[in-house]
Amino acid sequence: MNQPLILIIEDEEALRRFLVPTLSGQGYQVLCAATATEGLAMARSHNPDLVLLDLGLPDLDGMAVLADLRGWSQKPVVILSARNQERHKIQALDQGADDYLAKPFGAGELLARIRVALRHRLPADAPEPVLHSGSLQVDLARREVHQDGQLVKLTILEYRLVEALARRNGKVATHTQLLTEVWGPGGKGNTHYLRIYMAMLRKKLEADPTRPRHFMTEPNVGYRLELDGTH
Amino acid sequence: MDNPSPVRPILVALGSEAQSLRLIHAGFRLARERAAPWIGVYVDRGQGSATEDAEQVQVWMQEAQRLGAEVRTVEAPTLAQGLADLTRRTHAQALVMGRSRDRWPWARLGHSTADELQRRGLDAELVVMDDPGARAEPGAPTMAFGALAGTFLVLATATGLAWLVPAEGNLALVLPVYLLGVTLIAHHWGAALGILASVLSVLLYNLLLETPRFHEAASRWPNLLFFLLMLLAAQLMIGLLRRLRAQAREVQRRELHTASLYLLGRALARSLSPDEVAATAAEHLRRVFKARAWLLFPEGEAWKVRPEAPGEHLDEPLPPPSELLPRLVVGADAGDPLEPLPVGPAFCLSLLSTDQSEGVLRILPRDGEPLQPSSWELLKAFAVQIALALERLRWLEEARRAQLDHETERLRSTLLGAIGHDLRTPLAAIHGAASSLLLPGDLPGAAQRDLLTMIQEESERLAHLLGNLLDLTRLESGTIQVHKEWQPLEEVIGSALGRLERHSGVLPVRVDLPEDLPSAPFDAALIEQVLINLLSNAKAHAPGQDVDLRAWAEPDWLHLEVADRGPGIPEESLERVFDKFFRLPGAGDGGVGLGLAICRAILQAHGGRIHASNRLGGGSVFGLALPLEGTPPPGLVPEEAR
Repeated sequence: MNQPLILIIEDEEALRRFLVPTLSGQGYQVLCAATATEGLAMARSHNPDLVLLDLGLPDLDGMAVLADLRGWSQKPVVILSARNQERHKIQALDQGADDYLAKPFGAGELLARIRVALRHRLPADAPEPVLHSGSLQVDLARREVHQDGQLVKLTILEYRLVEALARRNGKVATHTQLLTEVWGPGGKGNTHYLRIYMAMLRKKLEADPTRPRHFMTEPNVGYRLELDGTH
Repeated sequence: MDNPSPVRPILVALGSEAQSLRLIHAGFRLARERAAPWIGVYVDRGQGSATEDAEQVQVWMQEAQRLGAEVRTVEAPTLAQGLADLTRRTHAQALVMGRSRDRWPWARLGHSTADELQRRGLDAELVVMDDPGARAEPGAPTMAFGALAGTFLVLATATGLAWLVPAEGNLALVLPVYLLGVTLIAHHWGAALGILASVLSVLLYNLLLETPRFHEAASRWPNLLFFLLMLLAAQLMIGLLRRLRAQAREVQRRELHTASLYLLGRALARSLSPDEVAATAAEHLRRVFKARAWLLFPEGEAWKVRPEAPGEHLDEPLPPPSELLPRLVVGADAGDPLEPLPVGPAFCLSLLSTDQSEGVLRILPRDGEPLQPSSWELLKAFAVQIALALERLRWLEEARRAQLDHETERLRSTLLGAIGHDLRTPLAAIHGAASSLLLPGDLPGAAQRDLLTMIQEESERLAHLLGNLLDLTRLESGTIQVHKEWQPLEEVIGSALGRLERHSGVLPVRVDLPEDLPSAPFDAALIEQVLINLLSNAKAHAPGQDVDLRAWAEPDWLHLEVADRGPGIPEESLERVFDKFFRLPGAGDGGVGLGLAICRAILQAHGGRIHASNRLGGGSVFGLALPLEGTPPPGLVPEEAR
């Protein structure tokens, strides 16, 4: 039985001391690197299944590490960001990171994010699954959305938005990503469209739009479709 | 026809002369006394006004405007006509003007503009102010062709008059005729022509005597004596006139100096930064001295030059401050340190204030218009004014800094106090719990769990406190960028509630948002933080009680209210709850008193407001207002349902 291999690129020793036993305790194989150079070398030699990447590394910018990784691997990357790195966090997500964790985070949150990230992004040619978020069902094959077993009528753009979120399989999608996926390359920058559509979606699909249970907002970053089995 | 205002206005006729300032002040006073509006008017006489300095007229008009006048420019062939027309049109009750507006001598013989206006029978009071310096023509007369011709004309007339003297009459009558002519010439066309005229008149007189008509009389009048007398009288007269003219010019110059100093002082008093002082000074110096000027501030071994003129460099490299400043202190020729020091083509003046040098004034005369030594006195006065303005700003800045230091010091001690308590307590707990877990010997499973839970909770509290401190510091130092985007409030309320409820289960929060609540420009992450802070406060002070969250819009503001049913806030603390580290007495060990300070900082960064009040029937209300500035993004074209 091959357990997923996780590479941690983090320069703070205290954090590594917490991460390594937590992850090994859950049965993951763990590798550790304290610098970007070391981390990249390890990534190339071991080809890990997931990378936990700290944005503030001493020798190289976390963004540069991400760019390097993305140059040859599509394996999930989860960003660890400190409080004053919001900008970089969004940038990293837009440039191909899969998710982020804001420090300080608890073990539960960490494991949930890793589980989500390890689920594969749904490839276009795979059999289209049905996704569940509480009482909400998204059937990607039939392009239908059901609430409590009832078919909900959505406009084309509304459905495309649901689909874009669903395809991320519980991971966060940034404003820019959603806009390009739903509105095409011209959609970039029109975040207000996205907000209006999200509000309309919530009115249709959430019991209480001010307390969403399915379509979660990540302020200034984007949205996430909360799927069953991530928590 | 202009609309007559209920109170008839006062007109003030302005020109380019320094006297205009006195007219402005007189008009201002009169207008205030009579509670009437007043109008500064300049009559543009087209070609006739070529001698008027348009720029200077502009200065006086601006000054009048500053004192509350309406200003107008009227085009008319003559001053009297322009003024009369405007007086009629505006129903002015009074017209203030200076006598110097008349530059021709006959104006003093009943043909002045004032007389002319009086003759036109205006229904307005005429206030004519005398100008002691105005009788002389501006500038020295020149030897122009016209003047020469005039001289000959006057002499010819005099000769003609002399010819009319009866042959048997006394030749003594001829003398005053020539004297009068020479005086007139000297007065109008200057001393040089005066001397020429006196020589010419002697020659003419001699010619006259040669004629048979005066031949007989001539024998009784020796030529030489007449010649001498004539020359002497002319010289005396010319000297007197010259002195009179010089005096008049001096009076005029002084008035101009006083006026320009007054204007500079006023403009400098309004300057709020050394850069503004420099710009103001340069502008006034350019206008008064017709020269370019800069302020130089020493910065190490280089000069900071203000005002900055892009693309324009100093024509001549300046000696570095370490070299120039000592030279200025010694002064030109080891004299007065305020004396302008020639440096290359320019002059440098030290800007000495009461206790130190505030910088250097560099003034560069235009080519061909060297700086007259006579204007140095005014230049020095300008330098002193500029230095004082700079000194005032320096003191203001120092006072501000002292206040800031004081504030920082106070904050530092509060911070130390807070850190002493709020950071140490959780640390002590964590340290204690961890060390007892590491003790040899087995703790019961439940006790182990208890200690571990405590470690987690206390570290969360620490993280929260540090996060708050960091946020506040970044907000106050302005390093946080407010990322405003138009968005509905609903979304951010949702994410705030979601985040809170993830930790503590469903909260009794009633959300009341109107259907048509508009979007607003704000930073979602920051406003979420505000909502989380307010809702957690409500939860801490009124546990288990309903919290009401409502929002509504005004034309320019979006309002949001978080109201609880807790114990409320004592009236005297309603403002102070937003201060850093302020905690209500007996409020338990909730936070450290940063939550509301952060809220206020966030709202301020948005250009919004936050305030606290007590709720009718008990509890407190926190009201936020976000400005609805700018244009909301366009709406969407409705889309067909699938």
